[in-house]
Amino acid sequence: MGDRPLVEFDHVTKRFGDMAAVEDLNLTIAKGEFLAIMGSSGCGKTTTLRMLAGLEAPSEGEIRLQGARINDLPSWRRDTPMVWQSLALFPFLNVRENVEFSLRMRGIGGAERRRRAADWLDRLQIGELAERNIAHLSGGQRQRVALARSLVTEPEILLLDEPLSALDAHLKVRMQSVLADLQRQLGITFVYVTHSQSEAFSMADRVVIMSRGRIEQIGAPREIYRTPRTRFVAEFLGSSNIFAGTLVDAIGDGAQVDTPSGRLRLATSPEGFATGDAVVIAVPGDRIELTATLPDAGDNAIEATVMGEEFVGATATVYLEAADGTEMRAQKSHADLEKIDIRTGQKLFVGWRPEHAHVLPPA
Amino acid sequence: MSDQANTVPGPSNMPVAVWGRTRRPAKGFSLYGATFSLPLLVWQLLFFVAPLLFLIALSFWSVRNFRLQPDLDVASWLYVYRSGLFWETYLRTLAMAGFAAMLASALAFPCAYAIAFKLAEASRRWAIFLMVIPFFTSYLVRVYSWQVFLSDHGIINAALGSIGLGPYTMLNTLFGTMIGYLTLTFPLVVLLQLFSLMFVDRTLIEAAHNMGAGRLRAVFAVVIPSARVGLVIAALFCFILTFGDFVSPLYLGGGNPPTLSIMITDTTKSGQQWPRAAVIALTMIATLLATAFAAVGYAYRGRGR
Repeated sequence: MGDRPLVEFDHVTKRFGDMAAVEDLNLTIAKGEFLAIMGSSGCGKTTTLRMLAGLEAPSEGEIRLQGARINDLPSWRRDTPMVWQSLALFPFLNVRENVEFSLRMRGIGGAERRRRAADWLDRLQIGELAERNIAHLSGGQRQRVALARSLVTEPEILLLDEPLSALDAHLKVRMQSVLADLQRQLGITFVYVTHSQSEAFSMADRVVIMSRGRIEQIGAPREIYRTPRTRFVAEFLGSSNIFAGTLVDAIGDGAQVDTPSGRLRLATSPEGFATGDAVVIAVPGDRIELTATLPDAGDNAIEATVMGEEFVGATATVYLEAADGTEMRAQKSHADLEKIDIRTGQKLFVGWRPEHAHVLPPA
Repeated sequence: MSDQANTVPGPSNMPVAVWGRTRRPAKGFSLYGATFSLPLLVWQLLFFVAPLLFLIALSFWSVRNFRLQPDLDVASWLYVYRSGLFWETYLRTLAMAGFAAMLASALAFPCAYAIAFKLAEASRRWAIFLMVIPFFTSYLVRVYSWQVFLSDHGIINAALGSIGLGPYTMLNTLFGTMIGYLTLTFPLVVLLQLFSLMFVDRTLIEAAHNMGAGRLRAVFAVVIPSARVGLVIAALFCFILTFGDFVSPLYLGGGNPPTLSIMITDTTKSGQQWPRAAVIALTMIATLLATAFAAVGYAYRGRGR
């Protein structure tokens, strides 16, 4: 509730030799929020997390935790517990001893340690595993031990570095809800690094998308999904159709864009652009209508050839190619697809309403 | 199309068949396995089991008029085990080897730790190379050269004398013996510790720091437990080598009071008492086996619980 953010990255740069892993990063993290940092490998997301944990020192800039500069504060003097991708559980200690570890390092007495460890093991529903060897636990159980071990000191913030990537799909979904519930109950800040869009978008309040050491976009999941700010974000999310073209007729409410695939309509004239400017349009794949005949006059339509289909759960992605070679995709439910019996090589109209197209802001 | 591919005979089918054969679990006796383990088996029989059996037989032989004769006599066992000097020497040897193992481990650990965690890859390779170099020269030669350093008028006392210290008696003392023991075992202990420290998961050390452990706490709470097997094996090797060592206690320790190895040579020299020497040797072997089993058991304790 306080006005001051919990964490502030102030023009932070981290270099390894000549390579800048993180460049001029500005980011504030509020108390109690679930923030996901997302990007492909090498984008600097893990380095950002490790700087916050005190495992790397920034080359430039300042990191503040509750207003205090922590650049040079060693990891063991901050309370920023982290859950590793490998979980980093101590194999020579049993479950209880693992959970007690940080309490032991803080000089808390045996009886108190036991009580608090047992309390957290119970909260994560693994109380009966207390005396078990780490090697004899399942993936999900280990996950819970790692969480209990990090939360036992009741920190303000928990850092998670792709903790679910080693789990199978089913368990992953279950642990996602465990994590999201836990964060809501505790009301502490979670900073969650992942390359998985589904993990980030299903759990986080805000998502940070990074690329090559820089932040591409910060925002609520829906906002990023609907209005990607850069071409990178739109392409990275992989769910949008991207058209590059030139703005023509930027008069009144509507506007039109000339693209190699044809002339496309926009519902409103995009801000910051003049006639003749280059623009990039993103259309979310789930807004696309596929029809065998030319759709309503007001809608955009591009004739395209079906290249293939991909099924993931209840939805399918149809891949299409326009006459000029532009690749397009549409996400449809199986029920929708049954209406228009799709075959590879078939010609269809890819249509969408003008208001569903989003113009990327000027670079 | 696929049917055709299946019926085509030739090389494409070969790897599958070979692969299938090698994948079969080798249980029980297989000629293939036996061929490769045979040299080891022959070696063990020839140089360990056969001499051991001979040693056991020898311990029951008797000595009449300085002449050894086959017998089935427990006199040597009784003589040795009733001797106060033997037990005194036994405990001394045990204590010295145990102390050497602890000393070498304690001195080697900071060294191995620095090589494993502080040095860059290239420097680490050089450090390993330097640890191997001592083995180029015979241990006996290295011990002799220590005499030049440690004697009352040796190099160390001369150096100390020039700044008004000493002379100190270092040769023919326990200190001298320990110098010799370290000469024998230190590089080996460093290497064995190093190889186990190099495989300690760095993430575990980071996790320890992340959970409030400072540098030294992390070493004791995470590095040492992670490398326990290697550290124990290193200490065990030091114990085994020094427990049976004859050179250092004799040439640097003066041989008096004796260790068990010196006692064995003394026993054989005085009146051809080979059976008594065999009793001492068998006791040493039993001690080493017991220590080795206990140490390995301790090293792996808690694993797979």
